Amino acid sequence: MRSHLAEVGRSASVQGRVVYALLMREILTRYGRHNIGFLWLFVEPMLFTTGVTVLWTLTQALHGSSLPIVAFALTGYSSVLLWRNMPARCIGAIDPNLALMYHRNVRAIDIFLARVLLEAGGATISFVTLSLFYIYIGWLDPPADILTVAGGWLMIAWFGAALGMTLGALSEKSEMVERLWHPISYLAFPLSGAAFMVDALPPAARKYILYVPMVNGVEIVRQGYFGEQVRVHYDFFYMLACCVGLTWLALSQIEVVNRGVTPE
Amino acid sequence: MRRIKPLFFVTVIVPVFLAILYYGVFASNVYISESRFIVRSPDKPATTGLGVLLKSTGFANAGDEIYAAQSYVLSRDALQALNGKDAFVKAYTGPDVSIFDRFNPTGFSSSGEDLYDYYEKQVKIDQDTTSSIVTMTVRAFTPQDARRFNEQLLEMAEATVNKLNTRGKQDLIRFAQTEVDDAKAKSQDAAVALSSYRNQAGVVDPEKQAQIQIQMVSKLQDELIATRTQLRQLRAFTPQNPQIEVLDVRAKGLAAEIDDQLGQVAGSSKSLSSRVARYQRLFLESQFADKQLASAMASLEEARNEARRKQAYVERIVQPNLPDDPLEPRRLRGILSTLILGLAAWAIISMLVAGMLEHRD
Repeated sequence: MRSHLAEVGRSASVQGRVVYALLMREILTRYGRHNIGFLWLFVEPMLFTTGVTVLWTLTQALHGSSLPIVAFALTGYSSVLLWRNMPARCIGAIDPNLALMYHRNVRAIDIFLARVLLEAGGATISFVTLSLFYIYIGWLDPPADILTVAGGWLMIAWFGAALGMTLGALSEKSEMVERLWHPISYLAFPLSGAAFMVDALPPAARKYILYVPMVNGVEIVRQGYFGEQVRVHYDFFYMLACCVGLTWLALSQIEVVNRGVTPE
Repeated sequence: MRRIKPLFFVTVIVPVFLAILYYGVFASNVYISESRFIVRSPDKPATTGLGVLLKSTGFANAGDEIYAAQSYVLSRDALQALNGKDAFVKAYTGPDVSIFDRFNPTGFSSSGEDLYDYYEKQVKIDQDTTSSIVTMTVRAFTPQDARRFNEQLLEMAEATVNKLNTRGKQDLIRFAQTEVDDAKAKSQDAAVALSSYRNQAGVVDPEKQAQIQIQMVSKLQDELIATRTQLRQLRAFTPQNPQIEVLDVRAKGLAAEIDDQLGQVAGSSKSLSSRVARYQRLFLESQFADKQLASAMASLEEARNEARRKQAYVERIVQPNLPDDPLEPRRLRGILSTLILGLAAWAIISMLVAGMLEHRD
């Protein structure tokens, strides 16, 4: 038992080093060292979110509540970036890294983990920085309950990571995944709760929209942000069950990939 | 296999064992009493932009009274009312309630806020936005308690709505009543001013009086003309007639009388036309005040009708029932979900560990 735990600990530290190295490599290959370098990691999502915020503010988008549009756009669009970028980066992640798979200690899951961590980190830094910036310039009130925001954010991140790994592993099997992901991710945007409050929907539609896991996460984030100002609807256990199921699926698919990968 | 065993033990066997223990032995039966009511109010709720959009989908929100009733039921006030003589605490801390379900099991958290937290978990109030029917459920450990609390809460909700009603009604009527009182005072003042002027100036209605006098003057003038004609005739045909003197005096008298009468109607400072201006103003004021009073009276009547019509009231659809069977805890379901979650956790963790173990120094 003890020796076994020690073994797991050693392996974990090795895996940690591998993932960290892959992460660094990923940053360098993606952003390079010219101009602002790895800062693009979160400047990119920040530009995105700011653009959307400005657009929505100008159009006074119909979001079905009297909430300040800036806070609404920030919470909504950041969440979308969080769960949408991870699958986008995980799909086809193995191929460019095949050469690395020669090493015994570089596994498919490490590559996925590195990319997932990178995306989650970028989205999170962008969200936090933008929140602080907007609060500083007075566009935004500080969140009502930071812990709830963090909880919802973590749930969305977990969901995105599991989804990303699942799709990444599946994309090794067939080209279709990549082809289908783009339309699906675009179609999922209006359904993801980024652009509306569930409470503003007709009750009949509410029931169905809550079957979309991201919606629950976004609602938790909004509850943390707005506190008593809004009536949110979410089913935490449903989201948890979705995440657990997807995680199981992801890990088993990665296992399949591990068997199938043959370094060139 | 030997290596997975402890993990399986921790993630599956222990939680399922605990779940069986809790759901099988410890968990107290929970009885749920349900009641449904609707708050009827004839006034239409204002719809926002999105509300209009969603109207077509059969989505409309109810009046404010529903929300008032709901937020009252879930308030600390309602809890305090229920907890008269510690009735609520007693019901949820009885010796037959298991240590895991009761309020304040450790004895360290007996504050009002703790009780309120606990209370919020026992009472649920939901509104179906399409039909505006509010469903209220109360969980308790005996069926009688559940029904009693539900009944009490329902009565309190009714009282809340009634309170709002009476306030609204009184406001409406009180406002109209002050209007009427003001108008009454004004009208009385105007009437008094008019009659005192009549006394002081000695006129009743200058217009009518002037008419009478002008009629009189015209009569006198007729007579004067007749007299003068007669006089001319007499002077022409019988200049020596003693009648001439008489008629002459009469004509002079008539002319003087006419001047006098005309002077009374207009011209002199005591004449009717100089008084008519002031009289007319007072008279108009009095009439105006009367009209105002009449309209204020009408609006008071309307307010009364409105208040009678604007009655929002709680209409019970389903009386609180006396549950004869505990609906919770759903024992098998609880055990099963623990098992499934445990298995999933075990699968995930073991896969993660297996993945880790492929990394070696």
